[in-house]
Amino acid sequence: MTALLEARGLTKHFGGVLALDGLDLAVAPNEILGLIGPNGSGKTTFFNVVTGIYRAEAGSIIFDGAEISAAAARTVYRVGISRTFQRSRLSLPLSIFDNIMIGNHKHLNQSLWFNLFRRGDFKCEFEASYRAARALVEVFEPALADRLFEPVEGLPMIDRRRIEICRALISAPKLLLLDEPSAGMTHDETKELMDDILLVRERNRNLTIVIVEHEMGVIERITDRCVVLNFGRKIAEGPYRAVAADTQVQQAYLGVA
Amino acid sequence: MAAGRNDGRAALWPGVAALAVATGYLIALLAVERPAVVIALLAAGIAVVVAAAWLGLFGRVSAAFAEHENRLALGAVTAAIALAAVFHEDHFVLLLVTTVLLYSVATLGLNIQFGYAGVLNFAGASFFGIGAYTSAVLNTHTAIPHLVVLLIGGLLAAVIGSLLLVPVLRTRGHYAAVVTIAFALLLKTFLEVNDILGGPQGMQVPSMKILGWSFNDNIELAGVSLSFYMNYFVVSLLLLIGAFIVVRRLERSWVGLNLDALRLDETAASCFGLDIARWKITAFLIGNFLIGIAGALFGMVGGFVAPNNYTFADSLILVSILLLGGIGNPWGLVVATFIVVVVPEKLQAIQEYRFLLYAAMVIAVLLFRPEGLLPRPVRRYFPGWQP
Amino acid sequence: MDLGLFAQYVMNGLMLGMMYALVAVGFTLFFGVLDVIKFSHGDVLTVGAFTALATFVGLTGIGLRSPWLELVVMLVAATGAMALLGMLIARYLVMPLRGAPPLNTLLITLMLGTVLRESVRLFYPQGGNPKPFPALLPRASIDLGDFNLRLDNVMMLAAGVAAIVALQYLLNRTKLGLAIRAVAQDEETARTMGINFTAIVLVTFAIGSGLAAFAGVMNGLYYNEINFGIGLYLGVIGFSAAIIGGLGSIYGAILGGLLFAALQTVGTVLLPFASAYKDVFAFAVVIAIMAWRPTGLIREKISERV
Repeated sequence: MTALLEARGLTKHFGGVLALDGLDLAVAPNEILGLIGPNGSGKTTFFNVVTGIYRAEAGSIIFDGAEISAAAARTVYRVGISRTFQRSRLSLPLSIFDNIMIGNHKHLNQSLWFNLFRRGDFKCEFEASYRAARALVEVFEPALADRLFEPVEGLPMIDRRRIEICRALISAPKLLLLDEPSAGMTHDETKELMDDILLVRERNRNLTIVIVEHEMGVIERITDRCVVLNFGRKIAEGPYRAVAADTQVQQAYLGVA
Repeated sequence: MAAGRNDGRAALWPGVAALAVATGYLIALLAVERPAVVIALLAAGIAVVVAAAWLGLFGRVSAAFAEHENRLALGAVTAAIALAAVFHEDHFVLLLVTTVLLYSVATLGLNIQFGYAGVLNFAGASFFGIGAYTSAVLNTHTAIPHLVVLLIGGLLAAVIGSLLLVPVLRTRGHYAAVVTIAFALLLKTFLEVNDILGGPQGMQVPSMKILGWSFNDNIELAGVSLSFYMNYFVVSLLLLIGAFIVVRRLERSWVGLNLDALRLDETAASCFGLDIARWKITAFLIGNFLIGIAGALFGMVGGFVAPNNYTFADSLILVSILLLGGIGNPWGLVVATFIVVVVPEKLQAIQEYRFLLYAAMVIAVLLFRPEGLLPRPVRRYFPGWQP
Repeated sequence: MDLGLFAQYVMNGLMLGMMYALVAVGFTLFFGVLDVIKFSHGDVLTVGAFTALATFVGLTGIGLRSPWLELVVMLVAATGAMALLGMLIARYLVMPLRGAPPLNTLLITLMLGTVLRESVRLFYPQGGNPKPFPALLPRASIDLGDFNLRLDNVMMLAAGVAAIVALQYLLNRTKLGLAIRAVAQDEETARTMGINFTAIVLVTFAIGSGLAAFAGVMNGLYYNEINFGIGLYLGVIGFSAAIIGGLGSIYGAILGGLLFAALQTVGTVLLPFASAYKDVFAFAVVIAIMAWRPTGLIREKISERV
């Protein structure tokens, strides 16, 4: 079975720091893959390189059969990869609807003529978009569904994270990269969020998810398989149970006794 | 201050009341002559505004505008016409009001660049001047119809602007800042050393003629004599209405959303498919086009152009209008333009000090009320639309 | 071109480059420490120059005649006053805006620059006109063939070099310099290591502004006149120089300053018909460099974490 996303030999330095060290990683279609490892092991850097924010110095990335190693961020989005960020990156002064629509860029008509002079057609597209955004928000937090035109600024952190996920999902991506989605949440909130993600996956069997997490309970519960990174390299992979029992992994997290 | 309610319908009357009061006040301000009376009026105006803010009335007015914008816009146009009617013979006032209208168009253009796309342009007055000089040169040396000259002025400003900015649009905001400041300083010097363009004294601009109707003669209409500036007033008002509509629609569309997204977080925006360079360039071009057209018309209104009217300090005045009025809010811009242009004209004593004063006011605004006079509300794609 | 003329051009270029470098270093210091573009920097230079002039007027008023003493007092007054002004700017205008978008700091300092510039124009007696600046340095000069080497230029050049060397020493060999560099690298860590952030910021602004005053006096001595717009002009050049050198790097700022002066000199030679064109030429090349190397010839500090 061919991998949906395959990274081979990815290498990336930041000044003197080696963030990715010849990383090999493959993501199978339709799976939920957990990406774990101690702080600084390269997980977010991997996301940043895949999504085109940084360019790797060596190695290749193949997505859905196409080479995207040198692709710009917007190209990566267009081929169907979407993400959330470790530090919540929403546009705070904008409304919930606006923030979600930012994620829907490729499905919206961007021509100047359409937007300025075909207002009737624009209104249709706007209303359809509203319904789509609302439907998605209802999955995660029904209470927000009637408040789509409020600014995001006033919302609590957990709602902001939910909206960030909605923004990533609205374009119906093939691959969703979640970077510590449960950061700053309580246990119950995390459980709720994960239930919602699983629900989205239920409805959309074509979705593949890679999730970076520090909460092992989450990893254990929702992932099919894990990859463990340390110092920019993969040190273990397999189902969570197997990986958690691996002594190398334990040493990476806890240090050598 | 509330951003405007979107549940239940906001009332129309606060907006109508605000428009009526503002128009009456403006007529009074424009009519009085003696400095003491002007100062008294200004003080009264400030007092009323402060009281209104304290009583929370601004929220109601914002909500009215947000909900009923189209009707209130019509009201504003009516108010403008009423204003012109009151002063139909007064050359000075009509010229002043026309200047305000054209500066408003320019700041609307600057707003697209700065307020929406976050592209810094500290050479706004220079591009305005390019438009004016276009009128001067083309009206004097060619027979190109004057309406077309306006378009050419806009295009020239857009093209020169893009030559300047495209190289640095990929970089950080402060690069655009220094490039535009340098351009502002250099253009003035360039115009001064070039005798073909009139040197420091500048050039005359032949007045506007549309289809044989010369704008230079007073008009006789049904026994009433109208100042010839009325011609320019009408064209400028039409230009402002057009610019306002374009800017409004731009903001209330996916294009406006793109611009906001790239201003607020470029990295995230590019991760969701936005071509940052393309949209910055688009915003900059459209903005400069508006500035150039306004400048071209302004050249014809004034009758002459000189380098000294389009300096870096004048560009900073335009930026000040943006910051005082509330970045991103076209209504706030128009109000701020009125204040910034009219007050020094009525109070000649402060003319000399206006750069200093406005700079100091902007500093105060940035420290204590960065959103400006009328903060920009959350985007409502169709005013009055309910899901 | 004969050797004498060439030497003259080189000397002019060095002098200008020195002054630009002094201004550029200020910009780079502020950016390094606080990630801010302090657009009022050039106008602080103007105020410094006028402070020196006012001091001179005061000194002649009380009958002082010794040029060396006058110069020293003027320098002390100007640099001291500007250092104080820089600290006030930092404390009351820049630091309060740290939470706001960086654009706001750029705007507020730009407006402040206007306030300073207009204040000089409006409130200094005859401020709108260029004012003669006293020639306080020895007027001796040596003729080397066709080239007239002026002693005062050599002294100013040496003084400028000394100032930059002193700054480098301060930054690289003293505890204060270490603290400044620490704050420039990583504010949070520096704070947790016990460095008083506010104090360091104020000191940095004081140093940068003092340098600006020094450059202002030099400018006055070189041209024998000052005017209220000189700071704006030098500020734009200094800032561009800092950018192409790479914001945050002192060496880059010096390099940028010298490079800009070299470009102006080349421009003068290539386009002798109007001096305005030398600036157009220099800026055109600068814009091209910015487009080619957006982070500067020496890398600009990366401040964003994704």
